[in-house]
Formats: sequence, structure tokens, C-alpha cells
Amino acid sequence: MRELLKDLCELDGVSGFEDEVCLFIKRRILPFVDHVNVDALGNLLAFKKGRKPRVRPCIVSAHMDEVGFLVKGFTDKGELTIVPVGAIDPRVVVGRRVRIGDKRIPGAIGLKAIHLTTEEERSIAPGFDQLHIDIGAPTKDDAEGLVRVADPVTFDSRFIPMGEGCVKAKALDDRAGCAVMITMLEAELEYDTWFAFTTNGEIGYRGASVVARRLDPGVCIVLDGTAAGDLPEVDPHLHGTGLRKGAALSFMDRGTIYSRRLVKSLTEAATDRGIRWQYKQMVSDLTDASTLERGASGAQTITLSVPVRNIRSASSIICLSDLDELSKLAVLAIREAGDCDV
Amino acid sequence: MDLRETTKRLINAFGVSGDEFRVAEIAADLMRPFVDRTEIDQFGNVTGYRLCGRVGAPKLLIDAHIDQIGFMVTEVTEQGFLRFVAMGVDQRMLQSLELVVLTRSGTIPGVVCAIPAHQQKSGEEKKVLGPDDLVVDLGMSGETARKTVRVGDYMVFADPAVDVQGDTLCGKAIDDRSCLVSILHALELIKGKDVNCDILALASTKEELGGHGAMGCAYTHNPDLAIALDVCHARTPDNCPADTVFEMGKGPVVVIGSNSRPRVARRVLEIARAKEIPHQVKAVPGSSGTNAWSMQLAREGVQTLILSIPVKYMHTPAEMICMKDVENTGRLLSEICLAYDAGLREGQ
Repeated sequence: MRELLKDLCELDGVSGFEDEVCLFIKRRILPFVDHVNVDALGNLLAFKKGRKPRVRPCIVSAHMDEVGFLVKGFTDKGELTIVPVGAIDPRVVVGRRVRIGDKRIPGAIGLKAIHLTTEEERSIAPGFDQLHIDIGAPTKDDAEGLVRVADPVTFDSRFIPMGEGCVKAKALDDRAGCAVMITMLEAELEYDTWFAFTTNGEIGYRGASVVARRLDPGVCIVLDGTAAGDLPEVDPHLHGTGLRKGAALSFMDRGTIYSRRLVKSLTEAATDRGIRWQYKQMVSDLTDASTLERGASGAQTITLSVPVRNIRSASSIICLSDLDELSKLAVLAIREAGDCDV
Repeated sequence: MDLRETTKRLINAFGVSGDEFRVAEIAADLMRPFVDRTEIDQFGNVTGYRLCGRVGAPKLLIDAHIDQIGFMVTEVTEQGFLRFVAMGVDQRMLQSLELVVLTRSGTIPGVVCAIPAHQQKSGEEKKVLGPDDLVVDLGMSGETARKTVRVGDYMVFADPAVDVQGDTLCGKAIDDRSCLVSILHALELIKGKDVNCDILALASTKEELGGHGAMGCAYTHNPDLAIALDVCHARTPDNCPADTVFEMGKGPVVVIGSNSRPRVARRVLEIARAKEIPHQVKAVPGSSGTNAWSMQLAREGVQTLILSIPVKYMHTPAEMICMKDVENTGRLLSEICLAYDAGLREGQ
């Protein structure tokens, strides 16, 4: 799965501009699915028959988009002003390389020399309204000839192996989820299942809602990245999840409470089979789950995650063994969802 | 010599103040085609000697520092994280910063952690966390980390150099290895030409700590004039009106002040005008923040001159320099070498 994950992470797909990712996934899964289409919001929907039918649809979902920026405008001297896409902490973007638009014009988010700052200045993080992208263009005209207002901007971060079985890349949230789904599609399924590669996840999980309205699912299994705060500076009860502890799942997120039946049966089945999993011990995020639940007549939901350090930054880190466990857990979840006669 | 590729080769190499040896080897290698011989001393300072053959000829020392800013590991924790000190690095860029750890058995990647959003207490979103509050993640267990990394290992910015628009190069350690490229270009331009002085090209160490390498070399070589090449600040969008900044692309900056001998500097300006080399001028009353400050007090005193190249975002992983400025600085230096005689030395 590592090669697939590398290919996925190196694609550019800021919320609203997921085409490149959508096209890659569509081409990749086409030989393995019975039906595929892209809807009005850019969601990629694929249906694959399994050995058994379901009474109501079961959807597995992951979002294709990543955090990034849009070009807001130009300064008089040819630098670019930016607006963030998704909940990026401005403190993780200073000094980072970026690439802009289809032509992947290289640039950097600069910060003036330390020699010109005061101690007071250095204690306050600049916000996005004070940060600029420099592409080296000598004048505003030069810059306007190469990039346009509203061009998407992605972090320029290579996918590299790290340490023991880890990888560093951008967009691990949620290309990791996409990688798991593609891998599931390439194998035989126990039950008929829908796979939704959704858009606009980072800006409010909007893509998922129209998917639910279209399919009126009984059960939705969301695969996502979740923040791993297992750092020495963080109190242990606030870690959330940790690397090398397996796939993460929870009873709830900030949008909804998951199906208690499903959480119980899945955790028991996972333990029986020796799949490594951990509870996500903080209620801190949203996922596609609540939008999928409320899309049509109501669905049972659950979110399964891979722990990600430095989530929503250029340098996210996951442990590949955790991703493998997520894969196994997801396959098990499809079975535990049963015929979705809910 | 391809100036851009030479600059990339130098700035992609790793050498923090106190351990510049890797870069010293590259510097010596690059100097060799243009000088009679090279020497690397116990600190890693590299001197290239280009002697003119005249007995009693004046000695001109031209210096650029090859050390870069970086980090040092202070602890390897039980869970495999690294605690560190940052030297010359603005703490506002630390979270999620990508580094390379220089271990005894090779380089490994590390990432400074970013504190997750759910950790942020409200009202603290703009608070900057310094090295004391952060750790470097290696993706390793404690046991492996402790076998791989030692206290005292250096860490540097990871991103390699990249070409951007406007004849500009973006990368780390442009401060000050880009200036070494100007020196090499000057030597290239005067190759085979007759000069009236002995030229010593110096790639010095530990500038970022206070100019230690250059000072020792100025003592050893005792030049008649020492020219320090270091970068200065180019205008960026977040400058204050009070900042002294220069424009990229408008040529080398000639410094005038107590640390850059005014009469010599004015003579250099005349040369620049005569040879139609674009240039800018900077007034620096006291400390220049360059090797000239320490070299000036070597032995019983050394005459110093400072030339600078404007650089954006100094001391970040995304420093930017205009290659035309590197070239023109080399040109100006070559003209100074050709003009250097007793007249220039005394600034008449």
C-alpha cells in the first residue's frame, strides 16, 4: 500500500480542486468496480458487488481533498496574498515551500530575517493576513502572468520514509483513507458495498451529504485521519491517539454519536482476530459521519481512523502498520454492518 | 562555471558552525582550478592561494563564511523524541519544520512536532512555542533513537534548493555560501591575468557564532586588506519602514562605515561606475554583523571592506537570492583584484 499511498499524497487536491485526485482514483478502480460516476460536487462514487446483497446500501467513505490555500491577490511587488483552505494553524506554514496551480509554480511562504525582528515580535505568530507567498517574480505583472487569483496552492512536501515503518508526507489525512478504500476495491467483498471518495471534507464535510441523499444508506463507515497528540509536551489524557497503537475508533465525534451496536460488535470482532486497535480518547474532530447520517432517512455511522502526527500541515507522519490495521478493521466493518436492514 | 549549479551544490551540503568539514572539502574542490594551492586548517577554514610572484606584493584576503545556522540535539527521550536548541532560527517557523539530523552513521529525517489543535487553549492560538516546548519526531522507538542519535548531533533545514522566477534561487545556507560563489567567479574572471597582489580566497568557519574562523585566519595571513562578503537584507512584504533593505537584482551592496574603510569603499564605487557594474550603497556606522568586525581586530589591526548581496528571508529554509547579483558581485570583486595596488590599499 505504500506505493499507492505515495502516488496519492503527491497529487494536488485542495478542497474544491480535487479533479487530479478523482481522476487518478477513478482510473485505478475502474477494472474492479461494477459502477462508477462523479456527481455534481465532484464526489467519486463506486459500487462493487459482493457475495451477498444488502437490504439498504452500505457506504465506505474517505475524503479526497487536502488543506492548502487559494491565491487571494497580489502585492504591488509581485508577492501573493493567501487565504487558507481548511483549518490550518498559521504557525505550521512559515518558511514552507508551496506549489501553485496546474503548472505547479514553485514558491515559499517567507518570513523576514530574524535580525530585523524584536523579541516581542517573535512571540506572536503571524496570521494568514500577514503571510505571503514569494515566487520570485520581480514585478506584479510578472506574477500575474504566471498565477491567477483563486489558483489553488498546495504544500510542496515529498513523501519520504521515516524512522521505523513511518512515512512523512502532506495530505495523509485523508489519502490514507482513500488508499485503504482502493485496496478494498481490488479484493473480493463479502457484501455489496458503495465506496464514496468525497470532496470538500476539509471545509465542512459537504460532499458526503449529497452522497447520502442519493443513496439513502443504512450504514456508513467513514475512514479518516485523526490527530495523534502523543507528544511529551501533551498531557497523556489529551493525547487522543498514539502512533504504533493500531487503528483508532471512537464512540462519537463532535457531530454525532456512532452506532453503539456497531462499535461494540466491531471492537469485539477485532479483538478476536488480533487486529490492533485503540480508542480515540478525545472528542475533538468532525468527520463525514454526521453529514452521512443526516443525508436522507438516517444512517448508522462509525468512523475508523489512522493516527496522524502534525495533521493538517505539510509534514504529517503516520506509522504504516497502523494503516495496515485500519485496512483490516475496515474490511471487518463491512462484514459487521451486515445486510443493513436497519 | 555554472554559477547557479555551483551555488546549489554548496547550499545543499550540510555544515553548521563548528562542523563545516563537508562543506570545506567542496569549497577547496571548487577553488582548486583557480588558485596555486589550497589548505584546510584544523577548524575547516579553507584558504586558496593565488600568488602574483612579485616580492613584497600586497596581500588581499577575500572571505565568505561556509557555516550555516542550525540546531543541536540536547536530549534523546525515552519515547524517541529529540529535544534541541535552535541557533539563529526564528522560533515562529518551528512547528512542523522538516529537518535532517546529521548522525554519525548518516543523515535521517526529523520533523519538529506541531501541537494538535485540540491542545490549544482558547486565546493561545497566536502564541509562539519555542524549542523548550517542542520536540523533533524521528518516527522511531526510543530504543532505536538512542542508538541512532546522540546528544550533540546537529540538525539542519531539510528542503533542497529550488529555482523560482526572476533569476532567483531559493534554498538554505544562501547566507553565506552564495558569496563564496561570487569569490569563485571573481577568480575565474581573473584567471590567467596579471595582478599586482597576492590573493587569498578564504572560506571561513563559525561566522554565525561571532566571526571566529575569519579572525584566526586574518591573524595567520595578516593581509593588507580583508574583504568580507556576506549577505544583507532584501526588501520583503513584511518589512517595517525602519528596516534597512535593498533590492534584489540591483547589484552588490558596497558598505561604508567604520568597519568598511570609507576611502577604500568610495574607490570601489568609482570602479563599479567605471566598469558599469550595478551596485547599491549601505551606511553602517558600527558593527556590520559580518566577519569584517572580528577580522578588523586581528594582529595589530587589519583594514577591512565589506560587500554584500541582498537576500530575502535570511535564516529561513527559503532564503532567496538573485543569481545576477551573485555574478555582478563576482565581477566587482574581479575588478577590485585587478585594480588592487598600493593606491587602492591606502584609498587614495
